[in-house]
Amino acid sequence: MSETRRPRLCCHWLHACSGCELALLNGGDLFLGLLQLVDIVHFPLLLDYKYASGAEGKPDLPAAEIGLVSGGVASKNQLEVLRTLRGQCRILVAFGTCASHGGIPALRNQWTAEQTWNTVFQEDERSCSGEFEYEKWLDRVYAIDEQVEVDLLLPGCPPRPETIVATVAALAAGHQPQLAEKSVCEHCPTVRTGTGRMSVRRFLANADYDPEAPVDSMRCLLEQGLLCMGPVTVGGCGGREMPLCIRARVPCRGCYGPVRRQGNQLLDLLNVLASKGIDHRAIVDRRSLLRFSGAHGLLKPNIREG
Amino acid sequence: MKKEPIIIAFCCNWCSYAAADLAGISRLQYPGSIRIIRVMCSGMVHPDLVLQALNKGADGVIVVGCHLGECHYLKGNEMALARAEIIADTLEDLGIAAERFQLVWVSSSEPERLVAAFRAMSERLRAGRTPEIEAKEAGQ
Repeated sequence: MSETRRPRLCCHWLHACSGCELALLNGGDLFLGLLQLVDIVHFPLLLDYKYASGAEGKPDLPAAEIGLVSGGVASKNQLEVLRTLRGQCRILVAFGTCASHGGIPALRNQWTAEQTWNTVFQEDERSCSGEFEYEKWLDRVYAIDEQVEVDLLLPGCPPRPETIVATVAALAAGHQPQLAEKSVCEHCPTVRTGTGRMSVRRFLANADYDPEAPVDSMRCLLEQGLLCMGPVTVGGCGGREMPLCIRARVPCRGCYGPVRRQGNQLLDLLNVLASKGIDHRAIVDRRSLLRFSGAHGLLKPNIREG
Repeated sequence: MKKEPIIIAFCCNWCSYAAADLAGISRLQYPGSIRIIRVMCSGMVHPDLVLQALNKGADGVIVVGCHLGECHYLKGNEMALARAEIIADTLEDLGIAAERFQLVWVSSSEPERLVAAFRAMSERLRAGRTPEIEAKEAGQ
């Protein structure tokens, strides 16, 4: 009896922190169930073997049906690996917010590569490691869909384990994965009255709530004057339940990236404030609203400083 | 000779679009590179539209609405004003010179005012060594 071969899964990281991979492992039993559905052919966090240099020093990666790529692209090496992955994988998934929107590493797009190099990698640090070769840097940090064609964006910092497993399982079965498409506010249970403070408090300020009472009796954090990015951030962080940060009674940080693929979290959030008549000038460091989605040319070096 | 700067003008149906019509009837001249887009209210021009226009190659964007207090929808132009403030503040954050965006109030009986605004913006952008262009030229 011949068993049909399971789809192969290739999981690689680029300019990333490995948090997305760990989230997948955190799935526990779900992850073990996934092993029944796919064959993992490449996964640097789990499998230890040489892959970096095949013939002529090219990255040597196995072919696979499903490819998960976490992290953005910041160097020529990463770009080469990404292109190889695109060639080897039938379905390529941008895994996590860094891959889909730039994520935290794309914060450095606020400065030129040269400024970052001079500020972060000082003289004596440079000699420590050959890893940081300035010549191999790209001019900025890119999301992977800026460089190659990507079939699916799976944002999250990190994505929920059950979402990752469900997505891979759906792809393995040949279905279209079901991902959240609405904003965090759609999943948020807090009380909205339509009116609120007309200014923005600092992020460090605490929300007003009764710790004994459930979250759904708490007032909307944006209406309390806390800069919650819920309206401009795609939901899904809480799974079927309420968003994670709201559960902890702090405002949404925007880690799942914009609601629409082309959205601009900074401009959209200020637009929300403007339409409510809230003074946006109270926000300290506006550009940090793009803290998770600075790729796609959204964060640029300041033209006045150039 | 430098080419005419392309300017996207979002004109409110009730005032400035009528003013543009009147400018045509009155044979007032303004640069041909201005592309008018009629909208029902200046307040409906989402900041994303302005940013998209600038990112896709427009040299400038001008939003034209009714004078404050004369909005057909009562408060639409106040929304436009609030949005214009965030656009002006944010463009610099996003690496675009704030001079490339402007908000003007024009009533339907003021075609001269509309044409003057169009001309002034076109002049400014053509002469306009915006910091962004300067930075680009210095980089080359």
